[in-house]
Amino acid sequence: MNEEWSENLASYFQRMLPLLCSLLMLFFSYVPLDLPISNHIRPSVGMICAYFWLLHRPDVFNLFSAYVLGLVEDVISSAPVGSNIFAMLVMYLLVTNLSRFFNAKPFVIIWYGFVLFSLVTFLSKWLLVSVYYSHFLPLAAVMFSYLMTAAVYPILSVINVFVQNRLMTDEV
Amino acid sequence: MKRRKVLFIQFSQLRLLAKKFAIVILFLSAFVLMLINKTDTVIIEKTSSVATDVVSPLVDVLVAPARAMAGVFDYFRDLGHIYSDNQKLRAENKRLQIISEKSRALEIENKLLSKLLNYTPPPKAKFITARVIAEEGDAFSHSIIAYTGGEGNVKKGQVVMSDNGVIGRVDKPGKMYAKIILITDINSKIPVMVERTRVRGILSGDNTSVPKMIFIPLSAKLSVGDRIITSGVAGVFPPGLPIGKVSSVEKNNVKIKTFGNLDRLEYVRIIDYGLNETPTPKTEENSAQKDENNE
Repeated sequence: MNEEWSENLASYFQRMLPLLCSLLMLFFSYVPLDLPISNHIRPSVGMICAYFWLLHRPDVFNLFSAYVLGLVEDVISSAPVGSNIFAMLVMYLLVTNLSRFFNAKPFVIIWYGFVLFSLVTFLSKWLLVSVYYSHFLPLAAVMFSYLMTAAVYPILSVINVFVQNRLMTDEV
Repeated sequence: MKRRKVLFIQFSQLRLLAKKFAIVILFLSAFVLMLINKTDTVIIEKTSSVATDVVSPLVDVLVAPARAMAGVFDYFRDLGHIYSDNQKLRAENKRLQIISEKSRALEIENKLLSKLLNYTPPPKAKFITARVIAEEGDAFSHSIIAYTGGEGNVKKGQVVMSDNGVIGRVDKPGKMYAKIILITDINSKIPVMVERTRVRGILSGDNTSVPKMIFIPLSAKLSVGDRIITSGVAGVFPPGLPIGKVSSVEKNNVKIKTFGNLDRLEYVRIIDYGLNETPTPKTEENSAQKDENNE
């Protein structure tokens, strides 16, 4: 009985691991950094994690995981509540419908996929938030954030790959 | 028993349907959340404050090791600059001593003149120093979360300053943490004026690092380097607080470089000037209370 219970708990933890790992990285991305570069061009860590896990482990990182990640990001940030959820859902739609082109491909192709998908996601979020504020946000700032996010993707992928290969079993 | 079975089948069908349209439902929920947020009701304010209080401790815990690492990096970086920093500080100290003497004399003169004119001074400001635990800055919003340490310490709309000038205002005060909107955020609109010419305008954030000054009279003459201070119009910010200086003047586009370094905020001062809070959204509850008070 006790063994069964611990097995269930381990399995549940494995299922939650991608979301927990994404949330942890999201929280880290808000830590104040005393760096010479501007703090106001931060990468969208949530978007990177959502893409990675939706592409590699859609069995454990599903629609609701993406939604929760967006919701938490909405709570921390001062962007309009719902805008990050919207971005995560756009990413979910893109990845689930077009993942066949990137599955089991070299890393560079997967990265290109992210560059493309994140551009669509950033632009749709920009459009939505612009409608919300009834005037267009500066597109240059959005492009800076987008480029930063695209550039940081490989670094965060290393952490995600570590979690996937070392901490997770193939089937949960 | 039969009724239960029917109910179970209906429930299963409903679940299947929900699963099928989950993405649509979730998209709709995102839009609904945005719409509710736009109405700016008290319920949303309170929910948001509670949510900030729940999430912020998690971020706060993560700050500790990151700060320690950054501290080591800073220590070695600062070691290299000790001599030049020391020289600079000596020179600055000399300059400040002269200014201090002058300001003391001016203060006494000011007090005497105020007495003669029977001038009513503004209320004395109270402040708390808060540690910044999270910074957020991207194309969509610019804000920070600070640990304020206790319920009722801060109120919505209070001025937030760094060592050099105004950096923002309290947006969502929680029990232990407060979300602060920076002056570069798109939601930030502060009545300001040019210190030299007293020309008034509004400092409007646009999610870039240099906010712009809008609603300036056409005849106004501004030049690069002019100091910008709060005008005190609308009564939310007291007049005379330093904000920044004009960094560029183009047609219909006056950019302001803030005095406070918004990229490196470790501690901030949240100041209570005893002025009005930012207008709270009108609710039935509030209206009813007002009516009662009027009666």
